[in-house]
Amino acid sequence: MTYLVTDECINCKYQDCIEVCPVDCFYEGENTIVINTDECIDCGVCEPECPVGAIKPDTIHNADFWIQLNQKYAEVWPNILVKGDPLPKADVWADNKNKLSLLSEKAVS
Amino acid sequence: MINTNTSVSKYPQPAGTHVETVTDVEHYTDRLFRFRITRPPTFRFRSGEFVMIGLPNAEKPVFRAYSIASPSWDEELEFYSIKVPGGPLTEHLQKIVKGDSVLMRQKSTGTLVNDALLPGKRLWMFSTGTGFAPFASLVRDPETFEKFEKIFITHTCRDVDELVYSKQVCGNLINDPLCGEFADKIQLIQTTTRQKFTKMGRITELLSSGNLFSDLGIGRITPGEDRGMICGSANMINDTKTLLESFGLKEGSNSKPNTFVVEKAFVD
Repeated sequence: MTYLVTDECINCKYQDCIEVCPVDCFYEGENTIVINTDECIDCGVCEPECPVGAIKPDTIHNADFWIQLNQKYAEVWPNILVKGDPLPKADVWADNKNKLSLLSEKAVS
Repeated sequence: MINTNTSVSKYPQPAGTHVETVTDVEHYTDRLFRFRITRPPTFRFRSGEFVMIGLPNAEKPVFRAYSIASPSWDEELEFYSIKVPGGPLTEHLQKIVKGDSVLMRQKSTGTLVNDALLPGKRLWMFSTGTGFAPFASLVRDPETFEKFEKIFITHTCRDVDELVYSKQVCGNLINDPLCGEFADKIQLIQTTTRQKFTKMGRITELLSSGNLFSDLGIGRITPGEDRGMICGSANMINDTKTLLESFGLKEGSNSKPNTFVVEKAFVD
């Protein structure tokens, strides 16, 4: 069991999830964050912290897709331990859905 | 007594952990026990939070999330645990004795904290099984009584002897150095779902029927006065959450406090 970051995080990166994770299982890309699904302990504390509702349990429809996507990038992006600033236009992007096509494969610089 | 977990481990201490010493163990049933450990001088937490606990018995030890059952001011840390036969951690953890070592990761976290709730008059803590643990911390913290006039704690288990710990914590409150004067603000409501007891039934049934309120002689939950905290199994959380939402309460978090908060009680 794990939680997943979905595409609602893309171009926002509010990062309220980072400080509450007891096992520090978030990894940071250029314009989104993912969860290492092998490290997540399914505690669920991060889920209500996300202001855009990007974090979902693995019981959602299409969970397998999001598990693979999260794990793929968690294995190449750096671990994020400290909350930073949201992306500059986070508030503008917050209400946008279906942002998957905007995902950057680059790690945070 | 044979010490099964000598305080000097043959394995290296994992990074980011504290090694603490067991100071007390009390077994309630063949499925439940509590233990206390020394507290690292640098370790700070908010009452209601949890930490990751493990044993120094492997190169890469198994860690599980444990609510801290003692309040933030206590010089020791207390935990309330289930014993799962064959459970990766609890199979071994249930055998600890005074003087043994326990590993604790350095980071505490959680949603069942006073900070995640907006101010209110009555605080409801709904728990099943070991989900009572974070509330054992919060009812021994004076801050909880500064924020709320009345605290109702519900604890539901299958059998009567699984209710001993919550009765002990709430019953001893009157002797507590910091919270004794607030003991009359607490009302513990214990129910069973299997074994015969003075009050029986799931908390969700008592909430939806309204019997919980009529038995207490009080009005139903309202978003203006009441705040809620829920800790139990996934099903119990979902059902109780739906009921609180039907009363007009909304889920909050650390970053966005509101009128109720939830957290899973870990079961293995």
